Amino acid sequence: MKNIKENKFNKFSDADSVGIVKTNYFSFANPPDELILFSGIKFGPITVAYETYGTLNKDKSNAILIFHALSGDAHAAGYNSPDDNKPGWWDIMIGPGKPFDTSKYFVICSNIIGGCKGSTGPSSINPKTGKPYGLSFPVIFIKDMIIPPKKLLDYLGINKLFCAAGGSIGGMQLLQWLVTYPELTEGAMIIATSPTHTAQAIAFNSVGRYAIIKDPNWNNGNYYGGEKPDEGLSIARMIGHITYLSEESMHQKFGRKVINEKSPQTGIVDFTKEFEVENYLQYQGESFIKRFDANSYLYITKAIDDFDITDGFENLSDALKDIKAKCFVISFTSDWLYPKEQLMKIVKALKINGIETTYTNFESHYGHDAFLIDDKRLKKLFAGFLKSLEEQI
Amino acid sequence: MKKLGIIKSWVEEGSKILFLGCGSGEIIKSLQSSNKIKGFGIDIDEIKVCDAISSGLSVIQGDINNDLTDYPKKSFDYVIAHDIIQIMTKPDVTIRQILELSNKVVISFPNFAYIRIRLGILFSGRMPKTRILPYEWYDTPNIHLFTIKDFRDFCQKEKIKIVDEHYTGFNKKSVPRFLLPNLFSEFSYFLLSK
Repeated sequence: MKNIKENKFNKFSDADSVGIVKTNYFSFANPPDELILFSGIKFGPITVAYETYGTLNKDKSNAILIFHALSGDAHAAGYNSPDDNKPGWWDIMIGPGKPFDTSKYFVICSNIIGGCKGSTGPSSINPKTGKPYGLSFPVIFIKDMIIPPKKLLDYLGINKLFCAAGGSIGGMQLLQWLVTYPELTEGAMIIATSPTHTAQAIAFNSVGRYAIIKDPNWNNGNYYGGEKPDEGLSIARMIGHITYLSEESMHQKFGRKVINEKSPQTGIVDFTKEFEVENYLQYQGESFIKRFDANSYLYITKAIDDFDITDGFENLSDALKDIKAKCFVISFTSDWLYPKEQLMKIVKALKINGIETTYTNFESHYGHDAFLIDDKRLKKLFAGFLKSLEEQI
Repeated sequence: MKKLGIIKSWVEEGSKILFLGCGSGEIIKSLQSSNKIKGFGIDIDEIKVCDAISSGLSVIQGDINNDLTDYPKKSFDYVIAHDIIQIMTKPDVTIRQILELSNKVVISFPNFAYIRIRLGILFSGRMPKTRILPYEWYDTPNIHLFTIKDFRDFCQKEKIKIVDEHYTGFNKKSVPRFLLPNLFSEFSYFLLSK
């Protein structure tokens, strides 16, 4: 036991870890000054959970804003307590000497509105009723998700970002951020995302939502305090998780490995746990329900599906025309959820507008989740782009 | 790498330049330090592009054959196609496209009428191999080899102005213009404008 404790201590005292970090909270849109959402609905108060790493410099010019993906949260790096088994979700990229080098930069990550990790979402208590919002929580769009981080920057006194980065739905928020606040950001890292959500991607999300809604415990979103729609949410996660991997990475990890042999004598077959890959997915589903709220999953996936950056514009290049940031776009060769064609559309639109753009279709067999994998070459790429931003400024 | 000295002498300091087939960006870095240029690159090779981005360069992984039309017209001061035109699927299309992208264009290429190549094919009866064209006939990237005369004819036909030219021959030494460059130069450099 003593040894384990010591090991854990070593992790967060590592020279390249941000160490023990605290989640902070910030509130805005207090009635009667509620936020008018994209839908037109007035909503407030809104709490934003956020973490920061590194030190904001004197002229407040070294801030980097990170947008997290669907199941991410404000806890992007380091450890919230010495007992944590795992560091924040992008710890491989954030820390002293890492690409988002906290000895130079001030890194900010906030939990999205509609989420369940400290920011206001369907599981939060509605101050008017004293009960969780549930389905009375308003519909949220990606356009709404970027407002709380903007308010947070205002609150922190930051009016220029050195860089902003986001992968997957984080990349959608980043695109929206760049379109809504074109002057605010010097450099943008647009990772494994899509300018509009495709029919195939909507289809996967839809099946996930269906699994939740068909769970008898879901009860129209009124399950707080009672039995939760764990079955539905874990199935949704299992489906989602498949889309984050690739055929090759699943083959390498599991192949056709069998963990429970069929019994020819008795004829008994385990329909859910014969192959190792089945066991793995179930594990993913079961661990997800402990940390995620089913209603948040519904609201966030809906916002993703509704995302189309060209809404209200003639086309993609028209939508991106005002962007001032130098852009780094990256796709992954084995990502079939947001394949390179989607990212190349963004690159094309940026080029048409004469916006300084860097792009690579990065060779990786890890599928959509490749940006979360500790890969030396990927880290060098990130560091190289940030270096080019420094030289430019 | 072939000599860049002449390219450096052609390029004005501080210019905005697009490099076709920039690889890992050695040529961009070289001109950045000599001419303080603002360099951008395009290359198809993922490993080389990642190396270039990792060293802080603005490079796009893409196919020159298809991707040049995305840039706005005249968005660069120069486009430099160093030792790349002969690799293109349609060199004529690429040349027309880059002349749209900038006022001045640098094109450099191996001269297929170089005496060693002529003698090579004459005496060996096989596809010639030289120091700068070392490939077998079946694995060469150079699918559109041409000569200085071919290129001059093309420029005349397309009404492309040859602003300056430079030739190198044996041992990378300069070949003067009066010394039959189409015969004695191995590699040539053209500064063009429309």
